[in-house]
Amino acid sequence: MPNIDLFTWWALSISFSSIFLIFISIYLFIDSKSRRKEDIRKKAGAFRIGRNFAFVWVLLGLLVFYIFSIQLGAGVLSEAIFAVGNIVVEALLVLYLLRQREEDSKQA
Amino acid sequence: MGYYNEYKAEKTVQDLRQAVSIKAVVTRDGKTSQIDSKLLVPGDLVSVYVGDLVPADVRIVKLKDLETNEATFTGESFPVEKTANKIDIQNPTPQELTNYLFMGSVVVHGSAQSVVVSTGKNSKLGSISGSLTRSHPETEFQKGVKSYGNMLLGFTLVLAVSIFSVNAAIGHDLVWSLTFSLAIAVGLVPELMPAIVTISLSQGARRMANVKVIVKRLVSIEDFGNMAVLCTDKTGTLTEGKIALKDVHPLGEEKDQRLFTYSLLCNTAVAGETVVGNPMDVAIWEHALQNDSQKSVEPYNRVDEIPFDYQRRMMSVVVNKNREYTLISKGAPESVFSKCKYADVSGKIELITDVQKAINDKFYSLSELGYRILAVASRNIEKRTSYSVEDEKDLTLLGFLIFTDPPKKDAHDAINKLNDMGVAVKILTGDNELVAKTICEDLKIPVKKVVVGSDLMQMNWNEIKAVVEETTIFARITPEQKLDIIKALKANKHVVGFLGDGVNDAPALYEADVGISVDTAVDVAKEAADIVLLEKDLLVLANGINEGRKIFGNTMKYILMGTSSNFGNMFSAAAASVFLPFEPMLASQILFMNLLYDVSNMTLPTDNVDDEYVKAPKRWDMSFVRKYTLFFGPFSSLYDFLTFGIMLFIFNAQTKLTAPLFQAGWFVESFWTEVLVMFVIRTRRIPFFTSRPGKWLTLLTLSCVAFGTILPFTILGSFMGFAALPPEYWVLLVLMVATYLVLVDAGKVFFYKICKY
Repeated sequence: MPNIDLFTWWALSISFSSIFLIFISIYLFIDSKSRRKEDIRKKAGAFRIGRNFAFVWVLLGLLVFYIFSIQLGAGVLSEAIFAVGNIVVEALLVLYLLRQREEDSKQA
Repeated sequence: MGYYNEYKAEKTVQDLRQAVSIKAVVTRDGKTSQIDSKLLVPGDLVSVYVGDLVPADVRIVKLKDLETNEATFTGESFPVEKTANKIDIQNPTPQELTNYLFMGSVVVHGSAQSVVVSTGKNSKLGSISGSLTRSHPETEFQKGVKSYGNMLLGFTLVLAVSIFSVNAAIGHDLVWSLTFSLAIAVGLVPELMPAIVTISLSQGARRMANVKVIVKRLVSIEDFGNMAVLCTDKTGTLTEGKIALKDVHPLGEEKDQRLFTYSLLCNTAVAGETVVGNPMDVAIWEHALQNDSQKSVEPYNRVDEIPFDYQRRMMSVVVNKNREYTLISKGAPESVFSKCKYADVSGKIELITDVQKAINDKFYSLSELGYRILAVASRNIEKRTSYSVEDEKDLTLLGFLIFTDPPKKDAHDAINKLNDMGVAVKILTGDNELVAKTICEDLKIPVKKVVVGSDLMQMNWNEIKAVVEETTIFARITPEQKLDIIKALKANKHVVGFLGDGVNDAPALYEADVGISVDTAVDVAKEAADIVLLEKDLLVLANGINEGRKIFGNTMKYILMGTSSNFGNMFSAAAASVFLPFEPMLASQILFMNLLYDVSNMTLPTDNVDDEYVKAPKRWDMSFVRKYTLFFGPFSSLYDFLTFGIMLFIFNAQTKLTAPLFQAGWFVESFWTEVLVMFVIRTRRIPFFTSRPGKWLTLLTLSCVAFGTILPFTILGSFMGFAALPPEYWVLLVLMVATYLVLVDAGKVFFYKICKY
């Protein structure tokens, strides 16, 4: 098991950077809507907002996954889990990006 | 730079002074002598003759057939007829002051005696020189760089002071805390920015020279690309800058070949290798030569000529064909009308009094389109040895000759191209509004609104700011008003370019974010300009704008990378320094990484820029840069912290003894993410690999990555305090960095949806 104090600090730090990023995303989203004078509740439904924040859900998932895999400590198993998790997320993100590209080209 | 600007401003004034250093024929105390125009004082009686440069602003007392060319002053290509009569207009524009001659204009016909009203710097021209004595205002790009510098300074100071204070407070060695916080500060400063900007600008200037755009002031290139409004004069830009015969209009519907043939016969131009003479007569001959219709005069013999004079404002010739003698007259329509008894309407001879209204309607409708018009009339006449002015009577009016400064063939395409590039074109001309409007209609340029100088004179600043937004043509305007229009557009947050070539354009060229002149412009205009076109062609301009946008795009890439990944890395270093029992990275390692990162960016100015990026003008938006930093910085921090986790808990690098392994692991990850994210950030395209980076950038970046990768295994690496990394690390690193790059790409989808730029 890793040194608990150092691990707690590390988990807090990595969580802080992710949560900071999520807050920034929310701030930017609200800022853009208010500058365009749009009513967030009216114009964007919960699903649409959720879709806009797709990368945030991936980020939160990654955070949990990273903390979990690092907590396993040294060993082939933790490295294998880390590798597989990354590959799955990459595949998902690439699919998302390709779909996004199709949507963008349709809009264009 | 300050010294250089002052030197240039001084040189401009000297050129202006040299340009206006002329001699004047002055009458003082009844004695006439020639003196230097500098010695003229108000009240002096000055005589001017054909070819003279007017030595001061003067009020005409007496004149004979006087015409002046005020093109460099007002931009109008046609000569201006002057009068000695009183002008009864309130707040007249200089163009309306036809009883005045302005310093710097040229006498093209006749002569005048006049009284000096104002001289030197008090003259209209002098007021222009006054506005050139200051240095160029800061460009949008310079302002942007300055505010970017201030933002970075703020970030750096806060972070460096906090790191030092916290580290010192928790008991870290003071010297170490200081050097570490200084290293972080250095890491945050984009020290390569001046080099990147200079290389971008100089390479761009070279590329622009290939498309006939000469850059005089490098720093203006980026504003050139980001120009959202182009103010241009009409003459020579939209038009050919010379008078041409547009059409011949008979009085009826049927064409009458005689009309054109007679205008060729009643003509003083001499057609040799080139055609020389009165501009309108030259235009008739050039039209004939272009259409190969000059042979129509061959059956005629010219018998006599009754020359043009300013009282009659017409000329006549007598020609003989098959023993039939004909008197042909050509001149100002009102003058010719007065000598006509009949009118030839589609071959039917009518009494002119019967059709006078229809003729007048036709004449005024053509005048309202801004054309210059001459009338042609004729009559049969008996054979004689000589003819006189008295023979100009009982003429039959045949029709009109329509003259214009013709639109340039490619001006329509050029304007469309500029509009497609997001550049709004506004026409600022000293010429009258009808001429400008007609040219725009000929070129199919949509005109939203036309404002004349006298209207502008009545407006307050807020009204001017509002009117410049919706106006396409500003006509009959003074140099001062050109300046006001540019200031108003700038105040409305537009990056404004001004294209001009006359002395009158110099202040506007100075004031605009981008002053553009042409190779054939007067020296003062060229000196005041930032950019000189080797051809006065808007298409050349469009090519230059494209280059400017590419340069701006590559500069922005460096800035956005520097303020995101770099900032994220330094932030992680600062956080880690507080909690780790050893230094997360030595100051020397931070500085080395910084150096290596800068080297990898050296070829950034050669990078490709996506076509969609150069489609519209951009502006330096500090709020965008700040948001970009806040959003993309934490991505980098997240993966730095992940690397800390891997090094601490998978490779157990938790003590001072294993610190070199930790530092090597983080150095490599940090360097990989910092450098490779450039391929994601450099484009807006999703996924990022659909945009092809420049080959030199790819080559140098990958070489630097390779160097950073092998560094921990080298003697230099050991010397710098790195330990060799285990093979499993590389597997994890590749996967982790790949996830990072794709995650940043996904972040781009969100970011660019909500942050428009």
